[in-house]
Amino acid sequence: MFDLAVVSQILWTSFATSSYFVLFAVAFALVLKVNKVFNFAQAGVMTCGFYAAYVGVRMLNLPGYAGFMLGIAGGVAMSFVLEYFGFAVLRQRKASAMFVFIFTLIASQFIAYAVMMIFGTWPTTIFASMFWPVTLVGGIAVSAWDMPAITATVTVLAALWAFLKYSRNGQFMLAVADNADLAELYGIQKDRILMMSMLLAGVIVSIGMFLYGTRAQVQASAATELMLFAVAATILGGIGNIWGAAIAAVVLGVVQNSSILFIPSAWQGFLLFAFLFFAIVLFPSGFRLPERRNTLKRTVVAPQALTDGKGH
Amino acid sequence: MTKQWGLKSTVGLALALALTTGVTAQQTSYKFGLAMPLTGGQATYGNDQVKAAEWAVDEINKKGGINGKKLEMIVLDTQADPQVGIQAVNRMISVDKVAVFVTAWSGVVKAVAPIANDNKVVELSVGANSPDISQLGDYVYTTFPLADVDIRAVANYSAKDMGKKKAAVLFINNETGIGSATVYRDTFTKAGGQVVAYEAYDQKATDFTGPLLKIRAANPEIIHLQGLVAESPQVIAQARQLGITVPITSYSGIYNQKLIEQLGAAAENVIATSLAPGVEDSPLVKDYVDRWVKDVGRAPNGLPYTQYLYDAPALIAAVFTSLDKKGITPTGENFRKEMLAIKSFDLPLTGKITFSEDHTVNKPVYLVEVKNGKWTKKAVVGQ
Repeated sequence: MFDLAVVSQILWTSFATSSYFVLFAVAFALVLKVNKVFNFAQAGVMTCGFYAAYVGVRMLNLPGYAGFMLGIAGGVAMSFVLEYFGFAVLRQRKASAMFVFIFTLIASQFIAYAVMMIFGTWPTTIFASMFWPVTLVGGIAVSAWDMPAITATVTVLAALWAFLKYSRNGQFMLAVADNADLAELYGIQKDRILMMSMLLAGVIVSIGMFLYGTRAQVQASAATELMLFAVAATILGGIGNIWGAAIAAVVLGVVQNSSILFIPSAWQGFLLFAFLFFAIVLFPSGFRLPERRNTLKRTVVAPQALTDGKGH
Repeated sequence: MTKQWGLKSTVGLALALALTTGVTAQQTSYKFGLAMPLTGGQATYGNDQVKAAEWAVDEINKKGGINGKKLEMIVLDTQADPQVGIQAVNRMISVDKVAVFVTAWSGVVKAVAPIANDNKVVELSVGANSPDISQLGDYVYTTFPLADVDIRAVANYSAKDMGKKKAAVLFINNETGIGSATVYRDTFTKAGGQVVAYEAYDQKATDFTGPLLKIRAANPEIIHLQGLVAESPQVIAQARQLGITVPITSYSGIYNQKLIEQLGAAAENVIATSLAPGVEDSPLVKDYVDRWVKDVGRAPNGLPYTQYLYDAPALIAAVFTSLDKKGITPTGENFRKEMLAIKSFDLPLTGKITFSEDHTVNKPVYLVEVKNGKWTKKAVVGQ
């Protein structure tokens, strides 16, 4: 089973399919970092993003790009609702973290049931066909879905990085993440930034669900299961480390898929959670790279009496 | 004086009540229960099956019901979940006092079996196919052939009629997959073939590259897939994308038009089983499907299953009619005795069924294959 072609295929497919998991993990990590919320209601945002795209493409017969935009609009709208009517209200009432957590769980289930009542329970995809043509590249089957998915994910990550690093609002977001009260003292409108963070996460997960929904069937309850991967990646990547979550999502996907080379396929699910169990217990703050040693050379010149010998 | 008047009134009232009760004790209607998933992940199938049963009950009542008495169906939700199923069946038995109920989904069928046996109420499993169902107790019967029937048929057909010597089995790692995969493997081997790969995938998996590559490396001539509606199309799509072009067989769960819409040309050479005659086999089935298209705007989800659910009230009505003619009270015990005494039933959409000693039925298996973008009849096995 250690054929190079097989290993290469598994690595390639794992990498490609980790694209949507990366987006889910990054969005979750972003809200956790800035809003300080374990946002399990993200599953509801993901569900809305998918079904908005589904309505556009399958029911309104819009072209794919229009369905994509509608999907983002759906996800962003739900993010707005959750922040405005949910988290903001709970903050005003000084609700405990546990209470907020419970709210996110209930919100995600409520949205799932509402969607189930509207759209039914039949698994469905955004496009009528889920089959993507394949090209052989050096013996590896590369589907027509793979490259656009990877490109979209890399673009989103690059845009997010640029936003956080170079834009004013991005800087504000990092400031609020660091110390929200202090940021407010400096004139940053905390509530506006928290809303922005939620909306941004809504955009990211909607893109992720569009990628997922063009490759796999989705039911109203699917997003809740996908969230588990995002949460695991966020924890492994280090709480508060968005890029760590992204890397962890890729690693987890590759580990799970490539485990087939060593263990029976029936054990894959077990292995993933065993890996997570030990990783979280042994590394509760996530994996950290060793810190770079600062080898700053300093040459301290001994103070000489720069005087004329008379103390001047 | 007042005391005497009071006593007389009480006795008179008691007599009146007794008479009234005596009148209502004669059957004015016959009830049975239907416990199916109306909500949850399996509701798409469940709701269509309930609709089929409702149509059947309407037809029976239009034709006079049970010797002029109405046949009533009490429908409760199970969500295809054993716990919810237990609550539904408990209610049917203790509140609605049914003598017989119909249910499906193997997990639910097994969970409610003790309730049926303890209360001596007949449980008719219609659609579940776990081989264990034949051993669930005196009051549990299935009108739907169990997994071994269609899986054995397709395994034998692959080995003997299609001449395939090497098969791979890919299955979902749960109750639906494990039992049937074992049946296929054992039957194919017994028929002279060799199972060169036997791979399971996790229930929550979304990528099947690993198991499919293992299967591809084993170079099978045919693959048997035992999964669920939710992920089977994706498995087939990924198999074709990885260059696996051999025929893929599966059970009746994937036999629907949506598969072809989702997979396009990748669906070619997919073979499914069906445990009920198709539109080409029976004019009644054609009329039934036409009615679905006219009234609902589409064919039913899981056509064969809805056919069995359409026939279930007919079987129940036949037993109730016999009991009514003989003046026997329709308890669960009496229903069971009468059902076994009749033993064979001619049902409109699925044909004749005969209960075996082990509480099961044997039916011919129809094999259908996707050819040129359509499901076409391939063979009938076990006629």
